[in-house]
Amino acid sequence: MINKMKDYVNKLFEDAPQTKKVLDLKDELTADLIEKYNDLLADGKSEEEAYNLVISGIGDIDDLISQIEGSAENGRVSIDDSTERKKSALLVAAAVALYILSVVPVILADAVLGFSGDIGIVLMFIFIAAATGLLVYRGASKPRYIKADETLVEEFKEWKSRKSKKQSVRNAISSAFWTSVVAIYLVASFWFGIWSYSWLIFIIAAAINQVVKAILELKEEEI
Amino acid sequence: MSIASDIIRGHTDTIILRHLAEKDSYGYEINKSIQEKTNNQYELKEATLYTAFRRLEKANLITSYWGDEATGARRRYYSITKMGLAMYEQNKEDWEKAKILIDKLISYGGAVND
Repeated sequence: MINKMKDYVNKLFEDAPQTKKVLDLKDELTADLIEKYNDLLADGKSEEEAYNLVISGIGDIDDLISQIEGSAENGRVSIDDSTERKKSALLVAAAVALYILSVVPVILADAVLGFSGDIGIVLMFIFIAAATGLLVYRGASKPRYIKADETLVEEFKEWKSRKSKKQSVRNAISSAFWTSVVAIYLVASFWFGIWSYSWLIFIIAAAINQVVKAILELKEEEI
Repeated sequence: MSIASDIIRGHTDTIILRHLAEKDSYGYEINKSIQEKTNNQYELKEATLYTAFRRLEKANLITSYWGDEATGARRRYYSITKMGLAMYEQNKEDWEKAKILIDKLISYGGAVND
């Protein structure tokens, strides 16, 4: 009967995460139940009666388990969240700074240092490339939502998280793309004095943007 | 019985603190003494008891340690802290006051008929 009781307790704790706190609770419960069972036998109860009394006296242990575990898990998640957000903010800030600084070599190369203007432009594109890389990295490295359990709600949350992740990668690429287009427009116009027709770059860029979007969407539908 | 136990349940913490004020103890022993004191009219569910232990421990009103029984089953002992003692005194005082007030509010006394 004592083994049957232990089996019952094992069942109760089967789905709980096997952390120290939970295992301690299980040990405590087992010790108390065995003692209670033996006392009931000493009082003249049959084994069957004693077993039933012990089991029915336990009450709803699930709440207690989730309470123990809930507090621990919530703590972890919030720490992760805040460091993740800080990292994300730092990456965006660095990328924006790089975009702004990207025009500095162009100005300096010609006016102050006397380099050929080409080097300035090359440096500018390197800056822009680095900044774009940071934004794309940020979009792609956002943590995925980890399923807490197998329910429809969880699946929906995961699907939503995946969708918004994709969206943020797209936004990052798109903003990097348009910033680059503006930069090219300004530099090319100043450099070669082609203001009269350099605006065409925006139409071309918009066309490229749409084509790329269409291709990506087609691909997604295939999947 | 069920309504009475609802009222008692609100005082689970105080009942446990009262028991621990006497001596260090573990779950089953506390529950057994509750049964004995109430002539088997009242008994806590294990879940209720352990929930109260965790709550009291978190509030630093009690502490716990593992006993060293040779029998194999590990007993977890609880012991009351200074703060726990103070809380017990406070709760007892509150209960005494509430008891007098509730008596006045819900029982028929001579005053009503006068």
